[in-house]
Amino acid sequence: MNNLRERALRLFAVVDRDWKKFRRNPIVIAMSVLMPIVYLMILGNSFQGKLIGLPLAIVNQDSGPYARSVLDNLRAIESGPKTLVTHIVVDETTAVAGVRTGLYKAALIIPPYFSRKIVVKANPEVGFFVDNTDDISAQTLRGAVNGAIGAVSSDFVPIRERADQAHLRDVALYRQVDYFQSLVPGVVIMAIFLGAMTTGVFNIVMDRFVGVEEAYLLTPLTKSDIVSGLIISGLSITTAVAVLVLAISMVITGIPLTGSIGQYALLLLLIVFTTLSLLSLMFAILGRAKHPRIVGVMSGFMNVILFFPSGAVYPIASLPGWLQWLARINPEAYAVDALKAVLFKGSGLATVLVDIAFLAIFTTVMMVTAIALFKRTL
Amino acid sequence: MSEARKAIEVSGISKQYGSATVVDDVTFDVFEGEIFGFLGPNGAGKTTLVRMLTTLIAPSRGSAKVAGCDVVKEPAAVRRLIGVIPQAMTSDTDLTGYENMDIYGRFYGIPAKERKERIQYLLEKVGLSARANDLVAAYSGGMRRRLEVARVLVHRPRILFLDEPTSGLDPQSRRAVWEQLNIIRQESAMTLFLTTHYMEEAEALCTRVAIIDAGKIVILGSPQELKQHLPGKDTVSLALGKFSDTIGDSVKNLPFVHQLFAENNNIRIAVDSGASDLPAIMDVIRAAGGKILSATIHERSLEDVFIHFTGRSIRDEGPKKVSLLSPGMPRMPGR
Repeated sequence: MNNLRERALRLFAVVDRDWKKFRRNPIVIAMSVLMPIVYLMILGNSFQGKLIGLPLAIVNQDSGPYARSVLDNLRAIESGPKTLVTHIVVDETTAVAGVRTGLYKAALIIPPYFSRKIVVKANPEVGFFVDNTDDISAQTLRGAVNGAIGAVSSDFVPIRERADQAHLRDVALYRQVDYFQSLVPGVVIMAIFLGAMTTGVFNIVMDRFVGVEEAYLLTPLTKSDIVSGLIISGLSITTAVAVLVLAISMVITGIPLTGSIGQYALLLLLIVFTTLSLLSLMFAILGRAKHPRIVGVMSGFMNVILFFPSGAVYPIASLPGWLQWLARINPEAYAVDALKAVLFKGSGLATVLVDIAFLAIFTTVMMVTAIALFKRTL
Repeated sequence: MSEARKAIEVSGISKQYGSATVVDDVTFDVFEGEIFGFLGPNGAGKTTLVRMLTTLIAPSRGSAKVAGCDVVKEPAAVRRLIGVIPQAMTSDTDLTGYENMDIYGRFYGIPAKERKERIQYLLEKVGLSARANDLVAAYSGGMRRRLEVARVLVHRPRILFLDEPTSGLDPQSRRAVWEQLNIIRQESAMTLFLTTHYMEEAEALCTRVAIIDAGKIVILGSPQELKQHLPGKDTVSLALGKFSDTIGDSVKNLPFVHQLFAENNNIRIAVDSGASDLPAIMDVIRAAGGKILSATIHERSLEDVFIHFTGRSIRDEGPKKVSLLSPGMPRMPGR
């Protein structure tokens, strides 16, 4: 009994020391919350964003009505979705030169007799000179121009669907999830990853580096006191940060807060298990590291091999076979899967039980490895 | 002494790193209540020895018992009974002085009330009560050292290990640490084991001293006993313009000169009586064409003991070449 009390006293002393040190570094706390949020803003705006204001040069050599119609359609895009900005250019040479110098992203040449060819159905064509090194802009412009021309050539649009044609009707099972919202699980994982890197094992590496560890090894602290103590403090700090990050990003992206208490509890449980699995993984890998630089290098590496094949940014189904295999043993993949289910589908415990079970087993294996590998000598 | 109980028993302990033997077959006992000093130059293996005795590294060969417990088989028991102040500063700069001690007390399972009283008492003793709630980051080197002295006493260790306790401190802070160690000693019957490369420290504090060089114990005894091994009674130190073998030979031929040790252009001479022998020595040196820059007479110290038994000055930290001009340098006592 007395032994148990002493053990608790030792363990909590390790935890308390870590808390105190963390509290005394307010910049670390601020960064831990801010960085994942900034990440959300940057990642959310870096891909799949709408392209706006692509400069398009137009050379109109046709005086017919259809050419005017194309121009009208393009101007409609210019003032509507603002994908492009039209520039009327007099001759073809200037327009193409402008594309080459980067003045325009593309040049549209409407040749003479364009309108007439449409009327006589003689394969009307337009020229489209495009800066194909910027593929995404090129595709977008091609789409816009195609739309503008296509709308001209179809003389009428059927109002009714044809009765003899099969149609696909979407039935949305869940609330609409936009791209920004779909990033939220990944951002929470990012917060947990950062926490797992800056708490837990990092403290022991730092103690070792500044030479303080020696004094701790001289006390009755056991290996499991040190490892579990640092994991407990890391867990509490990281969970708090991750919950805060989740709450802020839900507000920013407008994920409705309609869940039940049970669902919030489930989210918390997922955050706890994800944190535990990453903290113990880091402890198993870095338990013997002597220099904080090793933690820095490893964190960059681990982030790439855990985060990208996690399904947080792009579906796992898109990965090649060997990467899918990596995703199968990746705790972040299970965490993303479970967080998405609970956040977007309102799933309950039963749905994410497999994910939680994996994270629990993963944590156990890593903890045992970490304690076994941890050296209680210099 | 033989009736006293042994606090530390070391037999044939060695530590090997690759082909380098850092501690080489060291055997000694420390009795309860002693202040035992390990004196040697940097790199002699002192820290490695302390780390083996305090369970931080495993010996390659041999064994050691500390407070009756085997350091390899019962490391946890050893750790409960000892206190260690490592060579490097090990207090946490992100915590206050009080917090540093409190967390330590908890590591040893000391209950809250007792812990608080003990910490306040110890902080008072080392003169840090007023700064107890300041972050250690704001402490001076001497204050940090004093905090570490206080911290190591929280759990009332039976044996205290101090590895170079005053290394890097200014003379004033060093004396403050010595004073504190003496206070500690007066209050409890603790055994102290310290390593140092400061002669004065060993002489001021230790009841017995082991001189260690290149991983081996060269000689062991009380400072008085060790000095009795030295030939002559006084030491004369001279700084010369230029030392030469001719000068050395003529000095050594004087009947009252027992030993001569030369390093660069400085010589240390063991004589019967410094005051009466110095003029003759100076005459001989001048006759041999030497120029004398300064002369000092001093009582023999552990520095002379170290030179006598190792043929080197403790101050030089590398294997610097020195000329040994004493007639048949004895490695062991008994002239």
